[in-house]
Amino acid sequence: MVEFRLPKNSTVGKGRIFTAAPGASNVKNFRIYRWSPDDDSNPVVDTYEIDLDKIGPMVLDALIHIKNDVDSTLTFRRSCREGICGSCAMNIAGENTLACLKPIRDIEGDVAIYPLPHMPVIKDLVPDLDGAYAQLRSIDPWLKSDTAPPPDSERRQSIEERAELDGMWECILCFCCSTSCPSYWWNGDRYLGPATLLAAYRWIADSRDEHAGDRLDALEDPLKLYACRTIMNCTQTCPKGLNPAKAIGRIKELQLERKA
Amino acid sequence: MSNPKKPHVTVMRSQLSRARGLGSGQAGVGHWWAERASAVALVPLSGWFVIQVFRLAGASQPEVAKWGARPFNTTMMLSLVILTFYHTQLGLQVIIDDYVHGKAHLPAGLLMKGIVFLLGLFGAVSVLKLALAGSSRSTIAAG
Repeated sequence: MVEFRLPKNSTVGKGRIFTAAPGASNVKNFRIYRWSPDDDSNPVVDTYEIDLDKIGPMVLDALIHIKNDVDSTLTFRRSCREGICGSCAMNIAGENTLACLKPIRDIEGDVAIYPLPHMPVIKDLVPDLDGAYAQLRSIDPWLKSDTAPPPDSERRQSIEERAELDGMWECILCFCCSTSCPSYWWNGDRYLGPATLLAAYRWIADSRDEHAGDRLDALEDPLKLYACRTIMNCTQTCPKGLNPAKAIGRIKELQLERKA
Repeated sequence: MSNPKKPHVTVMRSQLSRARGLGSGQAGVGHWWAERASAVALVPLSGWFVIQVFRLAGASQPEVAKWGARPFNTTMMLSLVILTFYHTQLGLQVIIDDYVHGKAHLPAGLLMKGIVFLLGLFGAVSVLKLALAGSSRSTIAAG
């Protein structure tokens, strides 16, 4: 059965409080999930009182400030700090998003920060995405063409054909969508999840790809594709404003179209 | 021999092998489409049924029997009953797929389908009984 409650060793306890320096005027509380595999104890939520006047505008600025100046044990992934690498995907104020694109001022009250939901945690805000990456790998996310490319140029496509890929090539694979999806929570071992299905449709829709049929064959499964219940959390949460639900809908349409 | 602190690893299968699993079941399109098609068909049928219930409100038993004996009404009622329970079965299957995992999955689905089948059959038999009883009675009345 589905687990509706957290396992005992995942119950979150109260953590430490890091108070702001005296004289700080613009203080906001950051409540951050902490868990370390070395401690042999349950996760806790630490509270950091942060003076917003001392840091940049984004949640990632606060996290970097905490790591540099307050508590160097805080662990999280980040790289580009401008929404293109997808590393700093996490659950901020109840919504999966990129810490680098989330302005602190958009959040009322305390800022609760947790790792991406329902994934194994490696440490603190770092989820284990190996399974999700393997699922992406399983749909062969690369061009498969039997026709040789022209010897002296790249494979060409029309302006219209290229436009088909808009809204999909922009995906940065942060997996905010997949980890926001209840179907992925309950059946993530078989359901591929919106991020991977968006990538799958990106190659099905590519005019240069010649294996759309094989790709549709591989997806035609009660759970791999059809565990999508059109909940739309994926589209609502995507920090890049993409629409994975629409891509999944298109795959379902194509599955039906080729049966008739 | 072994370090008691070190957890025993039971799964060493690669992530890619786990992601590929048993491959594609080559199914799902039919279920998905049947769910939608039956839902659309149930919109006019349910609307018709609600109107009939209001029209028959306060009617006497022979009046209802006469109504139920008309071939058009019998056809509509049978369509409504069959499609309702077919759609119910499709929808409950989705819930079982989502929430019941492992060895319980198959028996849960079978049990659900058996119950829904019997309920649907009961509904269909009731409609037919009304239809046939109504017609025999009207024959007697005519004779």
